[in-house]
Amino acid sequence: MIASLRRLSLLACALLATPLSFATDTPTPREMWHGAVELQYAELSAASERLESSVARFCQAPDEVLRQRLENDWLSAYQAWQAVRFIQFGPVEQNSRGWQLQFWPDRKNLVGRKVGVWLKATDAPDAQDIAGDSVAIQGFPALEYLLYDDAMDEQALNDPNTCSLMQAITTQLADTTSALHRDWQAFGEHYLDTANYTETTLASAIQALELLEDKRLGEPMGLKGTPANGYLAEAWRSGQTVRLVESSLEGLRTGFLPGLTALLREADALPLAETFRDQLDKTLVQASELPPGLAPALDDEEAFRGLQSLYLNISQLRHLLGNEIASELGLMRGFNSSDGD
Amino acid sequence: MHRRQVLKVGLGSVAMALIPLSWALPAREEAAWLFSAVDDPSGGHFIAGVALDGQTRFMIEVPERCHGGCLRPDSRQAVLFARRPGTRMYVIDGDSRQLVHTLAAGEGYHFYGHGVFDLSGRYLYVTANRLEDSAGLVQVYDAENAYTHMRDMPLDGIGPHELRLMPDGDTLVIGLGGIQTHPDYGRVKLNLDTMAPALLLMNRHDGKMLARHEPSHHQLSCRHLDVAADGTVIAGYQFEGPEWESHPLICRLDTDRRFSELTLDDELTASLNHYIASVAFSRVSGNVLVTAPRGNRVLLLDAVHGNLVANLALPDAAGARCDGTGGFLVSSGQGGLYRVAPDLAIPELLASLELRWDNHLT
Repeated sequence: MIASLRRLSLLACALLATPLSFATDTPTPREMWHGAVELQYAELSAASERLESSVARFCQAPDEVLRQRLENDWLSAYQAWQAVRFIQFGPVEQNSRGWQLQFWPDRKNLVGRKVGVWLKATDAPDAQDIAGDSVAIQGFPALEYLLYDDAMDEQALNDPNTCSLMQAITTQLADTTSALHRDWQAFGEHYLDTANYTETTLASAIQALELLEDKRLGEPMGLKGTPANGYLAEAWRSGQTVRLVESSLEGLRTGFLPGLTALLREADALPLAETFRDQLDKTLVQASELPPGLAPALDDEEAFRGLQSLYLNISQLRHLLGNEIASELGLMRGFNSSDGD
Repeated sequence: MHRRQVLKVGLGSVAMALIPLSWALPAREEAAWLFSAVDDPSGGHFIAGVALDGQTRFMIEVPERCHGGCLRPDSRQAVLFARRPGTRMYVIDGDSRQLVHTLAAGEGYHFYGHGVFDLSGRYLYVTANRLEDSAGLVQVYDAENAYTHMRDMPLDGIGPHELRLMPDGDTLVIGLGGIQTHPDYGRVKLNLDTMAPALLLMNRHDGKMLARHEPSHHQLSCRHLDVAADGTVIAGYQFEGPEWESHPLICRLDTDRRFSELTLDDELTASLNHYIASVAFSRVSGNVLVTAPRGNRVLLLDAVHGNLVANLALPDAAGARCDGTGGFLVSSGQGGLYRVAPDLAIPELLASLELRWDNHLT
């Protein structure tokens, strides 16, 4: 496959062109962020390739073991995306790549409608067809629909149409994440040279926590002024909502916290970094102990209490970063500068 | 559901500077309001009328975030528009401080947040999206007949944004942003690789396209603009491509309607972070002000020569309009209302309100 070869050779180039900055000094916060995020994008790209191969294997010789493996590979790639989702600037903004990976929320079931149309297509789609169509047919939610939606009970997963659609979506996904990784590397010089990106990175992480609190948990749980609605949760079809939240928290732990700590150390405010780390660790442990789904917890008082407590911990985390740390560092977040028109 | 509030702003929460009583904004000699879409600190959406003395304001609660607006000539009315992809526009009466009409874009359409009246104040021209084919339109409404929708004029392009009337009274100048969105997809930009933005001139009577000028890069979304009394147009871009690239962000139509892009030095261009929010001409000089909220600054330019007059830091600089005396009023997403003038070394804070001003002042 040409796309895969291209990715391989790029990877080889990337390895040869490792940054020349030797560890003579302590790395700066932006150097730490850039390096950590590069590893996260590399993992996302690798996990997406594993998913692509997994689809191919399953479709060649479908059985329960390979199907299980396919589901696992889908979840790990989706989790790898959640880990680096706090980066909402730079190459991920190009061509709406973030949306290509995960179109959500989907209040009108566009994912289901798009999948339905492609399953009936007379000509099997390829990755280019998927890339040329809407973000609703690209990325993890469309694959989730194929793997888990009730409507798929009627159609075997190894049906030729389903297989070619899965193949096309995963190839497009692997192409996108590979390009994302490569572009993040190329973005390094600009990122490191431009002081504003320190604030941008902080603001992006705060926004990610706000999204977690308000949209990923608060709205489906009914804590934002509208009734609880499990269908508003991410990954409700597979029942993996809380696992994705956990991955986002882990991603902040590995990708964001080290740079933040360095930044707060420079500002002589290391205790704030420690408070943030402790709250993050506590929240992570709690998320990992909860059942994976959000929707089932809406009808189960005890499970709901667990989710509420997770929500409160994330809210506290958001407060720490968005208020206390931001004000310590003098970060001014704009209204129009973050979401103008 | 539209809560009307008239508030005296408490002195404790406001840093006030005295504003000369002699100020008179063009076409509004007395008791005029500055209109703006605002959000309150808890995220509620309002249309605010703020008096020029900075002390009195009224707020009308609306169900969605609004964006730009326009004044109706020879009347006390202003119209404010829902932000993309909103579907309503709101007619406000400045005397009664009330919402007098709420109008919908119609099933299958949404607005882009901007409109403009003809010189008589009868016809209102509004940029809109026809969803079935993503066609950019100028919709025409008759304000004398309860804002009845008259007709649609297609623009042969996607994503029209701000529009203004040229001094001839017959020509509309329109920023065609080029970005395709659809309410089903929220604010996802659906066509970043195939955008075709432009600065357009259109005859407002028959909808005939008179000129189409394309920016130097297909991802330079031409969105906001203003027209000087002599017909010079300045428009601002928002670059949707790789943020590590550098492109001009301001273009101009001169008095002979020749199109060019203003080249500022690279460092200055970089400091704008690819994003111009508002453009406002002075009515008494050739100066034009542009706001760059992502760069937390405003630039004052000589529109004829294209050179920089002033470059001032202003946090989350958003809306802008002339103050009628050669200076400008500029709002900040962080609540400040400022005066910027060629003879001021820094923006003068007129009032600081517990509000988030949206990108435009009317």
